[in-house]
Amino acid sequence: MSTIDVKVSAIEQVTPLVKHFTFVKEDGTVFPAFSGGSHVVISLNIGGRIHRNPYSLMGSPEDTSAYHISVRRQERSRGGSVYMHENVTVGMPFKITYPVNLFSLAKKARKHILIAGGIGITPFMSQIADLERLGADYELHYAFRAPEHGAFAERLKKTCGNKLHCYVDSLGERLDLSVLMGNQPLGTHLYVCGPNPMVVSVFEVARNFGWPENHIHSEQFLAPPIGEPFKIQLARSKKEILVPAEMSMLEAIEAAGVEADFLCRGGACGRCELQILETDGALLHNDHFLTDAEKASGKKIMPCVSRAKCERLLLDI
Amino acid sequence: MTLVFKQETFRDDYRYSNSPSGIKRFPFPFAEDQYMYSVNIEPHGKGKQGSVNEFAFDVDEHYVAECIDKGITLEQDPGRYESLPHMMDAQWDFLELTMESHAQDYPDHFTLKKNGLNWNWENKPLGIKDSFVFGDCSTLPMDPFEYMGRQVQGDFVLLDQRDETLYADAGFITSQADWSLAFNIGMSWKEWHGPVPRVTELGVMDRALKYLMNLQLGSPVRRLNWTMTINPRLDTSPENYPFWGGDRNKVNKENVSDLVHLRVELQALFRLPRSNGIVFVIRCYLINLKEIATYPRWSKRLHRVLKGLHPDLIEYKGLTKFHPLAVDWLSKFDDGATIELGTQPE
Amino acid sequence: MERGYWIRSKPVYTSLVWHDKATSHLLVAQGDGGMAVLKIFQLMHPKQPITVLYACNLNSKDYAKTLKKVVPEGLQILNSEEDVLLTLNNILPNMSMGMRLYVAGSEGFIWAASECAKKFGIEDTDIMKELTGTLARSVYCVHCKATTHDITTNIGKCCGCERMLFVRDHFSRRLGAYMGLMVDAESPGILPEIEEIYP
Repeated sequence: MSTIDVKVSAIEQVTPLVKHFTFVKEDGTVFPAFSGGSHVVISLNIGGRIHRNPYSLMGSPEDTSAYHISVRRQERSRGGSVYMHENVTVGMPFKITYPVNLFSLAKKARKHILIAGGIGITPFMSQIADLERLGADYELHYAFRAPEHGAFAERLKKTCGNKLHCYVDSLGERLDLSVLMGNQPLGTHLYVCGPNPMVVSVFEVARNFGWPENHIHSEQFLAPPIGEPFKIQLARSKKEILVPAEMSMLEAIEAAGVEADFLCRGGACGRCELQILETDGALLHNDHFLTDAEKASGKKIMPCVSRAKCERLLLDI
Repeated sequence: MTLVFKQETFRDDYRYSNSPSGIKRFPFPFAEDQYMYSVNIEPHGKGKQGSVNEFAFDVDEHYVAECIDKGITLEQDPGRYESLPHMMDAQWDFLELTMESHAQDYPDHFTLKKNGLNWNWENKPLGIKDSFVFGDCSTLPMDPFEYMGRQVQGDFVLLDQRDETLYADAGFITSQADWSLAFNIGMSWKEWHGPVPRVTELGVMDRALKYLMNLQLGSPVRRLNWTMTINPRLDTSPENYPFWGGDRNKVNKENVSDLVHLRVELQALFRLPRSNGIVFVIRCYLINLKEIATYPRWSKRLHRVLKGLHPDLIEYKGLTKFHPLAVDWLSKFDDGATIELGTQPE
Repeated sequence: MERGYWIRSKPVYTSLVWHDKATSHLLVAQGDGGMAVLKIFQLMHPKQPITVLYACNLNSKDYAKTLKKVVPEGLQILNSEEDVLLTLNNILPNMSMGMRLYVAGSEGFIWAASECAKKFGIEDTDIMKELTGTLARSVYCVHCKATTHDITTNIGKCCGCERMLFVRDHFSRRLGAYMGLMVDAESPGILPEIEEIYP
């Protein structure tokens, strides 16, 4: 997998919980252009263990001099975001992947409705730049907990003008999804990024109003969940590995020196899919990629976010 | 590296041949004595010096003649270039990719100077020099995709990624092996790959789609495909089938090695940055049986491959009429000795 | 020509059934498509507003009278297929997301309606389609680009260049037609047997 060598050129505390990092290329050249909604995966070496976390690129796709990401501090996580907040300083080098887009705008849409909750605003930052450039019809609906948590609200107001609608929870402001979805012109596409309950209710309301599935888009990266340790066996590389509680299967496979395919590392893209040859236990599927039928079949697993409760899990790798 | 471009024609009098070095670098596709249809995708990385894979886009001795032939085909049938309105970002992506790689890899022939969005492009072999504003179509004489499509060897399809599939939403197609852009434009992956040989392994097209949906920026891939064509004709389109289809009847024992050409497609796929689309490049290489026989390894190998070809594939590739003649001509080079794995000439 | 191939571009048509989640329903039908509309009205009616546009054609029975009895409101009987498409074009701008579209009639009509809806951002996968009456094909001549309608045989004459075209099982939704390729290019004048296979 091709990577880009970068270093941190600026860090900005945007809200009490969100930091904005700016990267430039180590060799001083420009980055590739990208499309609105793209993300990169950053490799972090935390105490000798490699963490790879996906973050949305939030700068304008046309500005190739720097890449921008924002990280929300998640206390109860495996430490990637805390490390970014506490240990990363200006000048530090990193390896990042080329941009990948699993949340692209529907180019044939006649109107775009973007719905963001909290840090879910980040993929929309670059999409807004694309929509403005294309002169597209859009609305941005941005919900956050309290005024001090509205990262980028001021900046967005300047870019979007009256296309921006903010909903501040602490002020009792709510986005009425029924009103929003009940009366949109034909050819409208809907995009949502935010906490899981928000995504679920947006999908539910849209479906109830008869919106076709292919007009509703979401981006949800999952952090690999912490679980019980379990053992896996790799058929082709002839290895047995223990997957520790706070490590994903994919990370454990990589740590054992076995090369595995991956892209998003968040259960969304399907690239790291592995075939299961044998197992004596239960699979704990956590991804958004496999269909329910595929999950039930017990033949495939996404090692980036899914786990198992077993002694034996023979994988075709 | 300075190339010498040959004066050739791909129609009418068919003044075309490969130089000895052109034969030696020919992308011979058969590593084994048997051929099975497969997807065989590999990274399109920098290949050996002088090989067709040395650079992202290969420019060879046929460059000027091929670009002239493209112009003739387009003039006769403007429908060979088409682009749906939502593909404009992908068009500029294509222009950037092809201009940058040509200028970087063949600096003697192509130069690109950028000053912000003001770009200057010079194509010395074709005598083209233009200044334009990147992203502003009104500053180019035609669509950016058509503009560079006319200056790069090969055919191109721009794919839009949506609804969990890929759509062929723009194309520049002047040297296709029997598929029609005017008919296929706007089709999804499954519709467009409707006609694949029945012997294809089940599910292979679905897996290829899944793979390509995850194709990454900066990590292009390639595969080889092949068929056979009578005469060194680039435009074997279904549109003009009434004019070239009859050529298959002209093959006889005497002319088989001159007329029958192995047609190899070097297919490369690149993720495009701004549009998140994909460009599918189909570059065609032609070589006749006589030229192949320069290298005994190749003539033996081709003899075995053709002889053992599945009847469905013979039909699918349109070889039925001249297949026995080609096998017969090649048989005299085959002593039956074992040939090691690999596509190399010697 | 077709032996070594298998084709997946051919559309699949179903019987019309109501979408249970919708804000309104729009049914457009032509000719024998009237029967498909009658059939869907045999099912329990949804509570959202329904609009039906219908025109009969020369080769089919006229279902207008029966439709007037069965469709409670929102029925418009039009004079021709062209008028149905024109009316569709005129009412779509006032529709909003959640409207579900149903089309019934000949294959040519289905894809003409589909092409009209596409202008308003409705993808053909979002449209419920029922093929009625005839399997006759529209055939696009890949050589002269003319489309010949109502071809019922494996080989048909192009209305543009008069070449005899083999009707391939390869379908373009954008053109609403199958691909036609000159059948005797390699053997002028020698034609395979012509048989009716799309009655």
